[in-house]
Amino acid sequence: MFDWRLILDAIGILIYALIVGFIFMGIERKAMARIQRRIGPPIYQPIIDTLKLLGKKESVSHGFVYNFGPVFALGVSITALLFIPIANFQLFSSNADLIVVAYLLEVPMLGIMLGAMSSGNPYSALGVQRGLLTMVAMQLPYGLAIIALVQHWGTFKLSQLVALQQLQGWSITVPALALAFIVFDIVFQALLGLEPFDIITAPAEISMGPMVEYGGKHAALLFTQHAVQLFAETAFFAVLFFGGASNLLDLFLKQLLVLFIAIFVASIYPRFTIDQAAKFFWKWPTIIGIIAVLLTV
Amino acid sequence: MDERKDFGENDGVIHYELQEFKLFEPLFKWARKKSLWIVAFCTGCGGIEMPPLATARYDFERFGIMPNPAPRMADLFLITGYVTPKTLKRIIITYEMMQDPKYLLAHGSCPINGGVYWDSYNVVKQLDKYIPIDVAIAGCMPRPEAVMDGIMEIMRKIETGEADGWKRYRENYEYYRRNQDKLFGEGWREKEAKRWLAWI
Repeated sequence: MFDWRLILDAIGILIYALIVGFIFMGIERKAMARIQRRIGPPIYQPIIDTLKLLGKKESVSHGFVYNFGPVFALGVSITALLFIPIANFQLFSSNADLIVVAYLLEVPMLGIMLGAMSSGNPYSALGVQRGLLTMVAMQLPYGLAIIALVQHWGTFKLSQLVALQQLQGWSITVPALALAFIVFDIVFQALLGLEPFDIITAPAEISMGPMVEYGGKHAALLFTQHAVQLFAETAFFAVLFFGGASNLLDLFLKQLLVLFIAIFVASIYPRFTIDQAAKFFWKWPTIIGIIAVLLTV
Repeated sequence: MDERKDFGENDGVIHYELQEFKLFEPLFKWARKKSLWIVAFCTGCGGIEMPPLATARYDFERFGIMPNPAPRMADLFLITGYVTPKTLKRIIITYEMMQDPKYLLAHGSCPINGGVYWDSYNVVKQLDKYIPIDVAIAGCMPRPEAVMDGIMEIMRKIETGEADGWKRYRENYEYYRRNQDKLFGEGWREKEAKRWLAWI
């Protein structure tokens, strides 16, 4: 039996996520510019950029895997999005969708790396190596933050998490989970690829890292993927720590809050080298995470 | 100039417009104008004029212009100052790596006629013989206002379709190739590639 309403809802959510994701990317650039006392590009600039990349008259390809990488990344981002409860709408749901989403949000990076490695550019290889190291480094605090959350609420279901938070107050008001929030926020910076941890696409060192060979329509696909990913990640954060949302406006405001924390942190800190990042991740966020886990037992 | 025309007529099989997207061509033209990404490649002394352009005073990101280190994604190539044969090799390779609607802005008088290096043995006097230039700014050095004016000129030319350096490069490839080979000797691309990628 085909449920037309559900399909229309899913497509609507996708279009909404795409537009809001692009606007978030624009807000990111605009806010950075305002902090540096510049005027900055218009908020819809990422949409123009994507259109321009789509309108390129040639796209160099390095074979099937190179084409497959961005498509895979975009697909995974969309799947992650459909697992997250966005304003009472959740297409897929399982008993452990918290874990599913937490790992689906990291897989797109692997898809980009798959495509980047097949291009054979040395800068791509260096970027991929850095990306994998960052992922290894951030797993531990990321896991600890989620363990603390799950231990406190006693559920792996995202919809149930939202319901519990709306009954008993947001996660962030619980002292132990406030610590988990700090840990998750640090990891979030690396998930978004923003400044203290933008070692993967360090533009001044290894010229965009994995993205160095991508151009034209491939790059447009990656931009689209980034927009969906940004929306999914901010929504996931809002669901975990700010009590989810019952309507889209509520969700938008919470996502904006999360995004602005990330932007402000990103615009004042310089970039870590990869060994510094790994050392940092395995020291302070891990210690705070273990304290949070112990407090919730 | 006469030589170029001969080569252009030889092959009538180059298609510039993607047939399936012809309807959206005005939209793409507008987008191309509004989002020019610059290759971060500076030659000579003009590179020092870029920081004032990018920072708070002249802020070119207002117009969607962004420095981008990856040549595959970039649209605009600024030649900022004199070009030596050694740099010209890199410039040609980078220009060929960029993807098709691509624009080239020569910055200062050195790429036009050699400027103060007019009698130097090691400066390329006329860049236009080796790669097509869309807009040239005179001056030594042009101030950021002049560079901004040049970029505005490129934007206007994109809108009217006059910025066709990439088309000219395809049509007259043999002319440009011959001039490049005259300067560097035959087979310089392979030799240059072998220096960095020995296994090829």
